[in-house]
Formats: sequence, structure tokens, C-alpha cells
Amino acid sequence: MKIGLYFCTCGTNITETVDSEKVMAELTAQFPGSYAAKVEFICSAEGKTFFKEHLLANRPDRVVVAACSPREYENTFMQILSEAGINSYFLQMVNIREQVAWVTPDPAQATQKATTAIRSAMARVSRQVPLEKKELEANNDVLVIGAGPAGLQCALFLAEAGRKVVLVEKTPTIGGMPVLFEELFPTMECGPCLLEPFEEEVLHGNYAHNIELLLLSEVAGVTGYYGNFTVTIKQAPRFVGPTCIGCGMCVEACPASGSNEFNCGMAEKKAIAMPFLGALPNFPYIDWKSCLRSHGDNCQLCLDTCPMPETMLLDDKERIVERKVGAIILAIGSKLYDCRKIRGLGYGEISGVYTSLEFERLASANGPTAGEIKTPAGCAPASVAIVHCVGSLDPKHQPHCSGICCEYAFKFNRILEHKLPGTKVYHLYKEMVASGKDDFSMLDHARKNPHATFLRYHDLKEIEISAVAGGQKITYLREDGESDSFSSEMVVLCPAMVGSEDAAKLGEMMDLTRGAAGFFDELNGRLHTAQSKVKGIYLAGTCQAPMDISHAASQAMAAAGYVLSGLAAGKKLVIEPITAAVDKERCSGCRICGGVCPYKAISFMPETETSRVNALLCHGCGTCVAACPAGAIQGNHFTNDQILAEIEAILQ
Amino acid sequence: MTTLEQTNPFEPKIVGFLCNWCSYAGADKAGASQTPYPPNVSVIRLMCSGRVDPQFVLDAFHKGADGVIILACHPGDCHYKEGNYRAVRRHRILLRLLEQFGIEKDRCNFDYVSAGEGEKFVRVITEMVSTIKALGPLRIPLPAS
Repeated sequence: MKIGLYFCTCGTNITETVDSEKVMAELTAQFPGSYAAKVEFICSAEGKTFFKEHLLANRPDRVVVAACSPREYENTFMQILSEAGINSYFLQMVNIREQVAWVTPDPAQATQKATTAIRSAMARVSRQVPLEKKELEANNDVLVIGAGPAGLQCALFLAEAGRKVVLVEKTPTIGGMPVLFEELFPTMECGPCLLEPFEEEVLHGNYAHNIELLLLSEVAGVTGYYGNFTVTIKQAPRFVGPTCIGCGMCVEACPASGSNEFNCGMAEKKAIAMPFLGALPNFPYIDWKSCLRSHGDNCQLCLDTCPMPETMLLDDKERIVERKVGAIILAIGSKLYDCRKIRGLGYGEISGVYTSLEFERLASANGPTAGEIKTPAGCAPASVAIVHCVGSLDPKHQPHCSGICCEYAFKFNRILEHKLPGTKVYHLYKEMVASGKDDFSMLDHARKNPHATFLRYHDLKEIEISAVAGGQKITYLREDGESDSFSSEMVVLCPAMVGSEDAAKLGEMMDLTRGAAGFFDELNGRLHTAQSKVKGIYLAGTCQAPMDISHAASQAMAAAGYVLSGLAAGKKLVIEPITAAVDKERCSGCRICGGVCPYKAISFMPETETSRVNALLCHGCGTCVAACPAGAIQGNHFTNDQILAEIEAILQ
Repeated sequence: MTTLEQTNPFEPKIVGFLCNWCSYAGADKAGASQTPYPPNVSVIRLMCSGRVDPQFVLDAFHKGADGVIILACHPGDCHYKEGNYRAVRRHRILLRLLEQFGIEKDRCNFDYVSAGEGEKFVRVITEMVSTIKALGPLRIPLPAS
């Protein structure tokens, strides 16, 4: 075999200690048919030209470049091989600068070490086989799950870029959680003021034609992989068609009512109703379990009063929709930690103890009390205790800090100061955070409220909230260990944010792992927080980690960015050849490989009872190759044969 | 009178399996800072320490290596998320097997070297070489027949 050895002297960087002539003579003698050429700087323009011309003139079967670290120029030299008509995977680089010449002062030792290293490369390269990059057609459409701020941002951004977006939302409306909030920190802007224009853009804007919005819908199945996913979506009946003008006459006529999830169950709504005042799209839906028709009644008062009866679809049925997309963005949000798990706080047992989400609705003009903050007895509270860090910073519950609770607690302070001047506010906290550009102003403002008191508690488990006449008594241990107590007329709990049940369900469906708190694992916590561990599935907003709206929106843009750069129009997906491949004949179907693959790239084929590597998802780490007890998996470009040849040549 | 060892001191042959992303880059850092270290370790670059098949280690000893060193990314730093965890577990099991062959466990070392740890790379290699020098050449005992 004709192996071309190119020895770069790197000026004198390498030859100062390594005797190039001795190395080249010894190795060309050991590998009959091979030749050696010396270059001064193979990375320079002249060096590269020489290299290419020399390859064209000599047509070697394999090429070894002994120079600097392959981490620098391997790719460059591979390209030159290609240009010279030689398969680029016929190259092996030997690092005789960083790992020999620069670290071995003794010339005899350096020459010996370089000879060994180059010999093993020549032994290896002779066993290298031609490999090619493969290309695959990809679908450029995108599925976005969740129409909160993050999901809307993704959908709009992608639609503006001309992408077709399927936006799936579980509820009958869009805008997510913050659209239900009266005000948002840190600017105290109203939630609908921020989000409604944005929602309008998605519904009726210049790029709305690129967004297919599926409300009351849930993803029921996902098959395929990056570039070629098939998604099954289950859409519940709304019973009201999109031609509805939103006049609300049906709502007045409806005789039935039921629990209102948009008000955290604190007030009822009609069986046919808008989700809440101002909800978009602006037309009602029938909550089937509350509707008399679900109990066999023939009531059709909604239809009878409707000025456009053709819009009422009382026989509406569940639909199963299938869509093909290239990428999936999860923007499904999170939930609050269940305060019932912390017995001493009395949540769910003592009246007047609310979660922060419930308080948001009490403070909201379109909430159950039309924005009047009232105790269950119907009076404005003279004092409100806000308990921070509920279920956070506590290994028994959730060890993490959600980061946003302090901010909204200070927001509540401001809302109380504004709506109910003179109300005493107690901030009962374990730790306090106010980082970032604007957040400290919230804390500062809260401190300046003359009726606000800040009390630091020692441990959540020592807080006891009990019902007393007119309100609650709160007993706790101060940080110095002394017991203290005070009374209030309302308690607001600020619980940890945790992953939702939907995250568990979708995670299982898409093979996504989740951390202890239920948030989706990201590919890398610093560089790739918007990318999940499965290629082609991205994360935006609080399903990945607790965050505020600004972070969620930024992450949404990042997720959309991945899609735009990875699935560009007219661009095919490239499958890198350094991947693993299963030899079906040798595979016993034990599935050990599937268990060790960090990328879920290996699937089991029941029809042949063998495993298969999806080369598009494989990153080429080789863990499965080492794990396979049958030796049935080959790691391309790092085959056993190649590595064993390297070992043998080292020890020759 | 000089002994054979004095004129021809034992220079161990050690095979090093380095992952591409951390340890190999760490070795390059040692090179960039031009810190000398003993030349006895020959490096085989793999994409991930998780690719180190225990068979490679056994083969290296079989073909005459006096020592083998596997260097990986630090826990939590693996470019492939968890290849280093596989590697460390395989190494632990491998040590038990090597003992049964009569190969001292110090001849097969596992350590973590990050892309920034040029100094640590030099230290780990230097210590490995002196450990193997102290152990002497590998002589695999023949099974009692």
C-alpha cells in the first residue's frame, strides 16, 4: 500500500528535537511502497498548495500528516484530500508538535516517540476505509407545543421567516399564564397589554397564514426523527366554529355552569363561555362536562339564541390530526409545587390561604372578584402574609430556587399598596434574590412601603399557620432560633416552580429525560439550554427551567434559531459518517446498546429482533461499540481493527 | 561493575487512551506550555472515553504494554453527556479482571483531565511513568497447569 507521509517541520518547532530524516527513513523502510515528503509549514498557503499538488502527482492510497494537533488542521487537510480526489477519511494526523517535540527535550527520545506515533498512524491509516457524508431530505415545518409567551414568540418568529408552524395548545385560548395576570414585574405593565397585541399577530397578523393554531389539542404521539417527525394530535370538540363573532348571547342564555379553571376554581363559569374576559381568539367554547347535553339533556339554548346559528356545532366531535414536521419546540410551561405537601401551611384546609397563582387572579380585573382583593369573608384584608420559598431551597421538597417568586412577591406588595393603601404586608422569607438589570428596583420599592415588614424564617417546616377568628395565626422560628408569631387576614404562598404532568407525558413520548424537579434536561446547561437531548426537539420557557417572561422569550428565539439554521430552506440534512452501525447478522437483540446510547439513536426492530442505529441521531461517541457483547456494532473510523492496529504498532 | 539496569534503564511502554474533547485537548495544552514530561506514553485518540473497549486494554497488555492509562472528561463534562461514566465503570470492573490475570491494578490507571488542565496532564503522566518504573516490566504469570 502506498502511504504518503507528509512531515511538517513547523519551521524548526518540530525538527529542533525530532530528527526528521531518521524518522522518514525508518518508516518508509518499514512500510514498503510508502513515501515521505518534508514540508516546512504545511498549514501555510504554500504548504497547502504543495500538499495538494504532491498528492495529485503521487496518488497515494492513504495519507499521514505528521505535524501539529489534529484539533487544529485535520479538517483543512481532509478538504485538501477531497480536492485532490482522495477520500478525506483516508487521512490520519500525528501530533508530533504539541505531544512530542514541545514536551520532549531529549532529541533521541523525541525522535523515538515521533517514530512510534507515526508508525501507529501508518498502521492505522492502512485499515481506514472510504467514508462519505450522506444527505437526507428534511421537512422544514415546525410543531410548537404550548401557546404561552414562549410558544407564541417561537411561532411568530418562525412564521415571519416563512416557515409553516403547527401551534398546538391544550386550552381553548392563547397567551399562557401571564395573560391572566393583572400586572407583570418589573415594569408593572398589565399582562394582557403586553400579550394581547402579540396574540393578535399570531391570529390575524401578516404572517398568521403560516400558523395553523390547534386549540383544545394535545399531542398524542410522535414518531420519526429530526427532519422527519410524524405527529398525531388529538383535538377536543369546541362546539363553536371559527365564524363566531363573540357576541356572548349564548353565554347569557346558558343555564348550566361549572368550575372555572382560569380562575383556579375560585368562581364558576357557564358551560358555554369565554375562557375569561379578553381571551383570544374571541369566541366561546363549551366545557362538555358542565354542559347539560353531556348528561343526556337536549338543551340547545345556546344554539337557539345564537344570531349566527351555523356557527354552533353541537354535534362537534374529537378529531385526530396528523402532521409532518422537521422539528418540535416544547413550550409547555410548568406548574407550582403542590402546597398541600407542606402540612403546616394549611393550604387547602385553612380559608384565606392562597397560592401566588390564585392571588394573581384575585388581583386581576377579569378574575373571580373583578380585581377586588377580598378575603373569603368578602372584606379587604388589613394584613397579608406573603410566604416566600415555599417548597424551594429544601431537600425534602425542591432544592432549587425558582428565581422569580421574590419578584412577583414584591409585585404583590406593590399591588396591595396601590389597591389597598395601608394594608400591612409581611414578607416571610428564607432567602431573597433580586439579580439582574431591573429586579432590585422591585425589592427596593417593597422595602420603601412603610407598611411592609420583612421577616426571615429559619426553616419552612417550622412555620405553622392556623385558623383564628378573622384570619390566620402564623408561628415560625426566626433565623436566630427564637419563636415568633403574628396574625394576618390573608396568606399568599409562593411555591417552587416544577415540571408539569404534561412534561412527564410528552417526555416519555419523545424519549426526553427530566431532572428531579421535572424540568426537561437540556443538551448543555450553558451553551445549549434551548436544545433538548434529542436532536430536532427544542425547549423554550419554563418547561426547561424556572424563568421569567424575558428569559422565556429569549429562549423561544434561541429555539427558533436552531430550527432556522438547522432546517434551512433547500438545505439537506448531512449525516456525518463517524457513526455506529449494527451488523444484523451478529446482533443477538440483547438491547444493551440502546440502554447506553446517550442520544436515543438506537432502536430495536421487532421484525428482525435486532438493534438499529439511526445515523442521523448518532453522534459517534462509540459507547455502544464498546458495550456490545457480541461485537456486532462497528464504530466507523474508530473500528476495533483500526484501534488494535494502532496498539500493535505502538508496542512493536 | 555496572549492571544491565544501569546501562539500559527500564523505559516502560504505556498506552494512553485519550478522549478527543477534554483529555486530548489537555495534552495539547501541556504541549502549548512546553512543559516537559516523560515520553513513555503513546497516545491513542478516541472520540470518547466511552469508546475504550476493555478488550483494547487487555490487548495492549498482551502485546507488551507495561501500563495503560485512560483519560476522560471530568464528571458532568463529557461531550457525549455520559461516556465518561461508562468508562469509569468499565475500568473498575476491568481492574478486578486484571488482578485475576496477575496484573497489578496500578498498571491500569483511569483519571480525569479537562481541556484546560495541561499541568494536571503532565502530573498524571509523570506519576504514571514513575509508578510503572517502580513496578518494573510487566511479566504476566503463566497459569499453573
